[in-house]
Amino acid sequence: MRFTEWFGELGRRVSMLLSGREHFDREMEDEMCLHRDLRARELRDDGAASEEACYAAQRRFGNSLRLREEIHQAWGWNWVDHLILDLRYASRRLRQSPGFTAIAVLTLALGIGASSAIYSFMDALLLRVLPVPDPQSLVVLKWHITTLDDTGPIGGRSVVHGRSGSTYDVPHLGHTGGIFPYPAFELFQKNAAPFSNLFAYYKTDRLNVMVKGQAIVDRGEYVSGDYFRGLEVPPAAGRLISTDDDQTGSAAVAVASFGFSQRHFGGPANATGQTVAVNNVPVTIIGVTAPEFFGVDPGASPSLYFPIHLNVALEGIKPWGFKPARYLDQNSYWLEIMARLRPGVTMAHAQAALAPRFHQWVETTATKDVERANLPELVLQEGAGGLDALRRRYSRPLYILLTLVAFILTIACANIANLLLARAATRRREIALRLSIGASRARLVRQLLTESLLLASLGGALGVGVAVWGIRFLMVLLANGRRDFTVIHPDLNWHVLGVAAALSVLTGVLFGLAPALQSTHVAVAAALKEIRSGESRARSSLSLSYVLVVSQIGLSVLILVAAGLFVRTLKNLQAIELGINRENLLLFSMNASQVGHGGTEIVSFYDGLQKRFNALPGVRSASLAHTGLVAGGNSSTCVVVPGKPVDDRTYYLNVGPAFFSTMQNPIMLGREVDEHDQPKSPAVVVVNEEFVKTYFDGQNPLGHHLTFGCKDSARDLEIIGVAKNAQYGDLKADVPPVIYVPYNQSPVPTFEMTYALRTTGDPLAMAKIVRDIVHQADPRVPVTDVTTQTAAIDHAMGQETMFAELCTAFAVLALVIACVGLYGTVSYNVARRTNEIGIRMALGARRGVVVWMVLRQVFVLAGLGLAIGLPVALATSKLIESFLFGMRPNDPLAIALAALTLAGAVALAGYAPAWKASRIDPMIALRDE
Amino acid sequence: MPRDEIPPGTLYMLILRVLARSGEMHGYEIAKSIELRSRDILQVEEGSLYPALQRMLIKGWVKAEWGATSENRRARYYRLTPAGRKQLEQEILQFERVMGAITRVIQAT
Repeated sequence: MRFTEWFGELGRRVSMLLSGREHFDREMEDEMCLHRDLRARELRDDGAASEEACYAAQRRFGNSLRLREEIHQAWGWNWVDHLILDLRYASRRLRQSPGFTAIAVLTLALGIGASSAIYSFMDALLLRVLPVPDPQSLVVLKWHITTLDDTGPIGGRSVVHGRSGSTYDVPHLGHTGGIFPYPAFELFQKNAAPFSNLFAYYKTDRLNVMVKGQAIVDRGEYVSGDYFRGLEVPPAAGRLISTDDDQTGSAAVAVASFGFSQRHFGGPANATGQTVAVNNVPVTIIGVTAPEFFGVDPGASPSLYFPIHLNVALEGIKPWGFKPARYLDQNSYWLEIMARLRPGVTMAHAQAALAPRFHQWVETTATKDVERANLPELVLQEGAGGLDALRRRYSRPLYILLTLVAFILTIACANIANLLLARAATRRREIALRLSIGASRARLVRQLLTESLLLASLGGALGVGVAVWGIRFLMVLLANGRRDFTVIHPDLNWHVLGVAAALSVLTGVLFGLAPALQSTHVAVAAALKEIRSGESRARSSLSLSYVLVVSQIGLSVLILVAAGLFVRTLKNLQAIELGINRENLLLFSMNASQVGHGGTEIVSFYDGLQKRFNALPGVRSASLAHTGLVAGGNSSTCVVVPGKPVDDRTYYLNVGPAFFSTMQNPIMLGREVDEHDQPKSPAVVVVNEEFVKTYFDGQNPLGHHLTFGCKDSARDLEIIGVAKNAQYGDLKADVPPVIYVPYNQSPVPTFEMTYALRTTGDPLAMAKIVRDIVHQADPRVPVTDVTTQTAAIDHAMGQETMFAELCTAFAVLALVIACVGLYGTVSYNVARRTNEIGIRMALGARRGVVVWMVLRQVFVLAGLGLAIGLPVALATSKLIESFLFGMRPNDPLAIALAALTLAGAVALAGYAPAWKASRIDPMIALRDE
Repeated sequence: MPRDEIPPGTLYMLILRVLARSGEMHGYEIAKSIELRSRDILQVEEGSLYPALQRMLIKGWVKAEWGATSENRRARYYRLTPAGRKQLEQEILQFERVMGAITRVIQAT
């Protein structure tokens, strides 16, 4: 009842507001006019003279204008009138100085837009939860361990003898992993009292999938029987995997993702019941997941889900494939586990209940004392956001970008505050006049704040446009060609718009409040006595303006140093000597072993393809290796050189004939692997210079032998050549000792291969014909990862490139804004001192002296900014150390570069007003008095 | 004839009362009506009548519509709403309670 009354009243007030002030005034006037007339007539009827009556009636009525105003106030819309007035006033003032308005709005739009764009990524990446019911009750099982180090003379120091899956370092906690042996999963299942559900999963390798006669490469996830039940997600069609499906000997089934069903079958209903061949094994699709479901890893989005126990059939064949014995191995860590807490059970409770059990069990798996002293401890982590690999990867880059953008926004605010301050100074007389005739200070502050909020709103509105563009731009930069990013959908949702709006208001108040308070704080009498308006700006307002300029310069220094560090990092990366020629090199991969090729037959399959590629017009030479050489993967293995200690830090590459001439990796000694090296011919090996340095102290190793492989599969190889060091695997790593082994002689069997084609023209132009040739050879083998060596290297430097480019752009922006601020302040100062300068010049001061006088002030301000900014930069640059390459965070060159750039920009910004000051005509300046 | 100011807080009640009796009136008629019925003892100031009427419009106790007087002049006519009728009852009850109490105090011996 009360609410409806209140609501009715609001409705009446609003409709009154909508009818407009003029309408209201006219009605009140009509009504009162009638009243006056009738009263006058009454008085006349009582005998008063007509003129007398009229006056009397009016007297009784009082001041009708004031009455009308009083009545209008009762409706409670006065603030709207004031606002409209203030807005009109503000927009008139902004129109009067379009230059100022444009600079302010543009810098704000860039700042707000960039912040919103970066925030939208954080929103999508860090704040969203899994699209499953009650995600808050999900927990991820992990463990902490002091060390996982398994190098050195005593070998492994932990019970984790084998692991597949990622582990990572956590500061102060040691190493963390989310992978467990299968027996541990069974242990948790037996002790699952705190959980309503416990389920396991792990990623498949890349799979060869034949759908309707078309071969593709895709990724999937192995899931335990309780996975879908535990996540409580419904199927879009058919049924999902259950416990019965996840047994040894169960029928081969799979659940398809919604996207997969649409891509290949035109929808969930059609996909259900279909059969696809996965790594040559027929698998029946029993159901399809809901459209929004993407598994538990926001960075993965598998296309197919299989029961865990199907892994033996799908990936057990290849030599290093999954062996059934692994289900019993207590020291092999590979399975990821998630659980759903029972209602009322906290994560801490569950951990307290489960950790001792795990400890007890894991102690029995230790085989020596060093392992017992270094046992993994179970910890639970929140699982609402899914697995955190993607967050770990991108949160730091995003935080760094957000910090830099926040700096720019702050610089922009300081700049606008400064410009407003200067503008307010020219209005001192106007403000003093208004105060003296009775305007309240609060009202004036409100009016000035309206102006800054209007500016900020314009900036914010334009900023939303910048954000839309920025999101797309960042998407390209951050994703860097990664497929993962299909899951992240940063968009302009209400959160982001809210942030943009909040930033607008915040910045508006931030840069508006100080100038508004400052400029309304005037000594009325003194200000009115001033001859020229704004002649003697209050001392405090001048020092506030200096503080603003110095802080702008200080923040710019921080961004400049960051940009310098990132640019130098990129330059260092680009300057790495690769040891090969990266131009005109086409790379692509295929895995014939997944569709049944093997043994000696697969070697001739790959060999036949190499010969066909070699014969192609436009191809100078073609070769292959088991992985890309530069910016590809890497494989380490045991290599034994007689008389030398065993070292497992030596890497190998299985290569085809003419590999070195194709890559243009020079052979320093001996010969390269060629077509005479056949399975039955003497086994040979080419080593790199680093290998010679490590094992032969730089002596000629030709003719010596080494053993490749650790156990029964080891093979004795004769060194026939030494290749120049070439970058291997990770771009940032030092070149390790590498052996190049003919793949047809290698003890490591052949499965996936990466071809390299040296072309005469554009490498990518060959892609189509390459696909056709492979399709002719075997239509079940898809060609993947088609790229050029240049693109692969650029891709590997993606993050560094992004930081260097974005940061340079940020630094330029910051510098421009800061210089505009500096220019404004100095120009204003010169204008203020026109008289003084005129007198100095009349007394004989040279122009150079005047220029220097002004510039000195500029350099003092810049020096102060540097003095504040540099120590802060030195102290904080450690935070970005992990993003740098080839230098220390306090790289003197980067810092010197930052300081010099700043000095140059500042001199440029200061010279214009200084020059202007030196052109002041003393006569005019003095006459102006 | 001496005229008295209307006691504070009772103007709403008086306006509501005269409107309840006569249905529709414009401002001058309301003022006149109160003066007449009080035998010219109460005098309604224009400066308080019109603000009061507008506040009653906001509260939703009265409704206003433009019409023409008998002499064909534009006038705003006020009419009671159901909410206004309820308000009138409450105001009268409260007034009588207070009046009774005051009377008892000043007549007490």
